[in-house]
Amino acid sequence: MERYTLIITEKPDAAMRIASALDLNGKARKAEDNGVPYYLAVRDKLIVVVPALGHLYTVAEDKIGRNYYPVFNFRWVPRYIAERGAKQTRVWLETISKLASRADAYIDACDYDIEGSIIGYCILKYACGGKETVAKRMKYSTLTKEELEKAYENLLPNLDFALIEAGRARHEVDWLYGVNLTRALTLAAKDWSGKYATISTGRVQGPTLKFLVAREKAIRSFVPAPYWEVKAKIEINGEIFEAEYEKEVIETRKEVEEILNSCRGKDGIAENVEVKRFRQMPPTPFDIGALQSEAYSLFGYTPRRTLDIAQRLYLDALISYPRTSSQKLPPAINYEGILKSLSIVPEYKGLAEELLAKELKPNEGKKEDPAHPAIYPTGNLPERVLEESEKRIWDLVVRRFMAVFGEPAIRQSVKVRINVNGHRFILRGRQTLREGWLRFYEPYVRTEERPLPQVVEGQKLRILQVFSEDKFTKPPPRYNPGSLLRKMEEAGIGTKATRADIIQTLYDRKYVRDERMVVTELGFEVFELLEKYCPSIVSIELTRNLEERMDKIQSHMEKRENVLLDAIEILKPVVEELKSKERVIGEQLSKAIRKARVEERIVGPCPKCGTGTLIILYSRKTRKRFIGCTNYFKKQCNTAFPLPQKGVVRPLGKNCRKCGWPTVQVRFRGRRPWNLCFNPECPSKGEGKI
Amino acid sequence: MKCAICSREAVENGYCELHALAYRNILKKYELWKKATGVSWKEYLSQIAKNPFTGEWAKEVAEHLVETGEEHVGT
Repeated sequence: MERYTLIITEKPDAAMRIASALDLNGKARKAEDNGVPYYLAVRDKLIVVVPALGHLYTVAEDKIGRNYYPVFNFRWVPRYIAERGAKQTRVWLETISKLASRADAYIDACDYDIEGSIIGYCILKYACGGKETVAKRMKYSTLTKEELEKAYENLLPNLDFALIEAGRARHEVDWLYGVNLTRALTLAAKDWSGKYATISTGRVQGPTLKFLVAREKAIRSFVPAPYWEVKAKIEINGEIFEAEYEKEVIETRKEVEEILNSCRGKDGIAENVEVKRFRQMPPTPFDIGALQSEAYSLFGYTPRRTLDIAQRLYLDALISYPRTSSQKLPPAINYEGILKSLSIVPEYKGLAEELLAKELKPNEGKKEDPAHPAIYPTGNLPERVLEESEKRIWDLVVRRFMAVFGEPAIRQSVKVRINVNGHRFILRGRQTLREGWLRFYEPYVRTEERPLPQVVEGQKLRILQVFSEDKFTKPPPRYNPGSLLRKMEEAGIGTKATRADIIQTLYDRKYVRDERMVVTELGFEVFELLEKYCPSIVSIELTRNLEERMDKIQSHMEKRENVLLDAIEILKPVVEELKSKERVIGEQLSKAIRKARVEERIVGPCPKCGTGTLIILYSRKTRKRFIGCTNYFKKQCNTAFPLPQKGVVRPLGKNCRKCGWPTVQVRFRGRRPWNLCFNPECPSKGEGKI
Repeated sequence: MKCAICSREAVENGYCELHALAYRNILKKYELWKKATGVSWKEYLSQIAKNPFTGEWAKEVAEHLVETGEEHVGT
């Protein structure tokens, strides 16, 4: 076989796309070795494109074994050596090594970011026999044929070693933190109770949990305070409007009564009419954080889900690389070409043509990313039927892209100050005068339209009613995955690629539950232990500082070795402290785990006896699970309900909308979850939905 | 000594750190309630105990104070 150029990609889909784009006939040939796919393309010479499976190498300790800590010596090893579930990476690496031995040129075409650079670097260094120094780099932001061809013709002469060093530092520091702290907590609990449960924490996970715990404490210790709002119903030209008292919050009942008494039966005079016109600028293009937040608020998708969908759309060459922090759209992406291609879609035709008729200038944000522009549609149209969620995200990206080129919207606010017997009420109106970009982003726009009829100063207005509303101050809202992600971004902890995973880990470890995130007993206990014995681990300041230093490696302003040494310096005393307190930590954690396991099985208050709690129980006799009342053990209530014996059952934390009884969710692998009301007399029975 | 409400260690006024935080909030907010509605300490406690916006720990402390009949300092 002739010598060829070996291109390494991050994922199989990208390998197929790159090979097809580079083959002169557009028909790359698929081959397989030991079940590992690779692609053959013919261009100036034979090209072999072989994919990785994400990370094929990882950081691991020098000494084998999982039951010890501290661990400060590590090396990069193939994943199949370090991870139990990564056996398939062995054949993958064997195939890559085999293909590399017959190549005479090497190109790293993994995603151009920290993770992609590390993946390519490790493969070239370890699997290809030290080819990282001679390999070239392919840089692209979309998987379209045009861009891939251009990237291949304009290869970067070297790998981006600064990016690689930054990536190595990040992986190594995170590994050191994760492995030492997680082992310290897990082994402490295991040694005390004899039972194994992974209690993890990490460099970013701890500070993230800190945000949640602080909010949880504020909510659970919250005491509302009473206040009142006074409003007036006003008739203008036969229509009724509601005006608010100028003082938005009234703190005493006495004052409310005075206002009501004074205004009763009186008319109002429009004292002052203030009309303001303002421009509402178009939104900025999506970076990954903004896309995740928007998808959460519009569709309820978790950041992890949005990232996965965006990644699939990217691999289908429908959108550009999603893991970007840029809010810039450079002209080189060819705005016009994209809009022309999008105008084939009937829903976008009119809008795209309207934009094409004018000069195209995007409303960019401040954030930049040296490697990629903001997320934008490539202009390619789907070649397969997209899933509903994929369709939604693609449409959102397309409409956002069009909206950034739109004209500013012109909106008008009207504020009428009304005097009622010396008391002032404010009537507010708001309306759009020129839609501008709002039309392009139509289904996703949230603007309030409250037009007011013409009111002139001195006009007498009929007051139909002046009334008060009893109010209470509310606790701060719970974080949801979207708002937590934004908080992490603002605090500068984690990266665009890792934040969604960290939030997911908090759920997986059962430190939090529910969409409106509630910290569990276990979450509290783990956080309190960390804060008590190693406050530096949950310090947001320290985490951000480390984050900034790791970023500096990328711009040659910091050295990986220094960051690593300093991280170890911080970690060493922490781990020693944890080791010396192993017994007390183990006891506390074990109790919390036990409590958490009970908490997980609590369904809700018993609707029959009213004093007991319904809980998921297992019968020793029949080995079946069922729902029973805790008062059964006191011989006071024998309420029991059968449960499905297959699938995973968990309390939903919500009551049935029909009968008010607590509900459970039953999950079967690969099937839609089933929300079940176990009240045999519930009116929902037979309707299918609760 | 254990917290009067849960199994944690008591650190302040017979409460654990978390319930003590709620207790402090209860004391602080009473001044606002008294000014706003002229409510008595007892009535205040029973009102916040059933208010849907009151946090779980604050509710537990309010119920505990109702049960024990603890008077407000200064009332």
